[in-house]
Amino acid sequence: MTGPQIARRALLGTALAAPFVRPSFAQGGDPYVIGTLFPMSGPNGEYGKLFTDGAALAIEHARADGTLRRPMRIQAEDTQALPQQGVIGMTKLVNVDKAHYVLVGFTAVSKAVAPVGDRAKTVMVNGGAVGPDLSGLSPYFWNVIPLAHLETQAFLPFLIRRNLKRIALVYVDDPLGDAILGLLRTELPKAGGELAGTFSIPRTAQQFGPIAARVRQTRPDAVYVASFGAQQAQIIKGLRDNGITQPLVGYSALSIDSVRTLPEAEGVIFTSQKFDYTGGSEITRRFATDFKARHGGEPGAYNANYYNAVRLFALLAREIERENGTVNGDSLRATLLRVREFDLVGGKGRFDDLGNISSEIQVNEIRGGRVVPIA
Amino acid sequence: MLFLQLLLQGIQTGALYALTAAGFALIFGATRIFHFAHGTSFTLAGYAFLFCWNAGIPWWAGALAGIVAATLFGLAMERFVYRPIQRHEGSFFTVFVAAFGVAVVVQNLIGMFAGRGFAAVDTSLSRATEVLPDVFLAPIFWIAIAVAVVLFAALSAFLTRTHAGVALRALAQNPDLLRAYGLSSNRLSMLAFALGSAMAAPAAVLTAMTTGLNEAIGHHVMLISIAATIVGGVGSLRGAALAGLMLGVAESVALQFVDTQWAEAVSFLVLFAFIIFRPSGIFGVAQTR
Repeated sequence: MTGPQIARRALLGTALAAPFVRPSFAQGGDPYVIGTLFPMSGPNGEYGKLFTDGAALAIEHARADGTLRRPMRIQAEDTQALPQQGVIGMTKLVNVDKAHYVLVGFTAVSKAVAPVGDRAKTVMVNGGAVGPDLSGLSPYFWNVIPLAHLETQAFLPFLIRRNLKRIALVYVDDPLGDAILGLLRTELPKAGGELAGTFSIPRTAQQFGPIAARVRQTRPDAVYVASFGAQQAQIIKGLRDNGITQPLVGYSALSIDSVRTLPEAEGVIFTSQKFDYTGGSEITRRFATDFKARHGGEPGAYNANYYNAVRLFALLAREIERENGTVNGDSLRATLLRVREFDLVGGKGRFDDLGNISSEIQVNEIRGGRVVPIA
Repeated sequence: MLFLQLLLQGIQTGALYALTAAGFALIFGATRIFHFAHGTSFTLAGYAFLFCWNAGIPWWAGALAGIVAATLFGLAMERFVYRPIQRHEGSFFTVFVAAFGVAVVVQNLIGMFAGRGFAAVDTSLSRATEVLPDVFLAPIFWIAIAVAVVLFAALSAFLTRTHAGVALRALAQNPDLLRAYGLSSNRLSMLAFALGSAMAAPAAVLTAMTTGLNEAIGHHVMLISIAATIVGGVGSLRGAALAGLMLGVAESVALQFVDTQWAEAVSFLVLFAFIIFRPSGIFGVAQTR
């Protein structure tokens, strides 16, 4: 073998290996591995980008501030929002990548991966799913997003005040949809309303004209949409195109761009966490400013939640590093329960014994392609 | 009135299913290649139209772009994926895996370049108005039916009255004899892919206006196309078209009798019923071994 051949092969090998070489960091030591179990492809891929953008910005801020002695790196696994893909990804993160902390989203995925994380004592943090039964899934499963029961508690009185008492529910046939159905069945009558009809749809459903015909027959005052991802926009377009003129309402999953920018979504009302990006804390303003500079638009609740999830890790790990402890599931949980309150985007975030954050809820309306808080 | 409403919506959906399924059936019938990436032709056509629409390009040019995108993709699959595989091995499984892999890659490329999530063409053609008490109909209903009727009439005329069309049918029946007559099966195979893929484009354009698109929509399209091809009788173009229409109507009208979550399952109940009671499909010919 001649010299130039060796050189060419070495060059080729180096070029091929380049993407896998970890960059050097100002901080020393092996990085903390932040695993992500997000849908990066498929009809819910839009969420994966939203979630990752928030988490990546938090890592950048922690690096700039020198919050930790060791750097953080994201190890992404694509779940496609499917439970079985989630379990495969979680198993790899725990056993192969030795993740210190895993970010999850989607109710069905969260419930599927929780036992894996629980056995490995790996902390899992949800910033996107709102199924009420995500509370207390495991001592190592925390929520940095208020769960659906908190959203409906705030939303139902608002709907009744607007005289929207007969609600038709179009819900996806999965744990999230079932949870919203259960909540509306029990809470709506207590608030003075009634369920005019319930319409379950498979996750893969694409045609909503026939469902609109069934919904019309129930003569509702409003239609509650409990789905997620691309399907939400399809439902809204399907209902509006097929003669549903009543207000369309829903929960925080409606805050994604593909819904916000949909002409048929004009007037859609939904709940979300309360964020004040202009008059809030310095952390909130810095997050909003840097996010806008990087992505060219206002951040949404999901961006903020996953920023908070990673920031929470940085704050907890800093405490543990100061005490010269080892960052693992047990030390993170012990520190969370000891400190309880953290400076996060949106203000002080306080966690209960089950690892659930409490947060204020606001009611939003989509007006001219913008999300406007109305209550 | 609910039944009439569901029936009309089923016909609209069925017309689109028929167009897509007929394209798949044409390719499969003529070449016996299980073109799993047919759904990707549909997706590419839809996004090409959407891109043109958003860029302010006239609708007819957008539709043409959709047809070109679908056709080029179909031709590229035939030339660069299926033909090399068939030259060496040609097993059904290899072809399927190759097509599936390409479909996944293209789906992710569309997601990267066009954005992940829902996308639709904003047009008043999809907005229904009340034409009878409690019966809503959108202008696109008539467009979908007209497009399906015209395209099927044109395709039938092509297959029965032109040399190329007759040769395509001959390719389906006896490729060896076709070669003995000096005709190129490769060229005819490319023609089948071009025509079949182009058939998906009008359905994709209309879908972009009605239910909207996402980069993963091709898988759903393929499920319907496969079901329609089996129900219609493998190799039968009119069978696939009729079965596509039937599946669309069944999916919609079923809501008169069952809960909404069973709508999609009805299509597959129809498929199972045919597999059990009439495996050769509506127009298929029963074969004994």
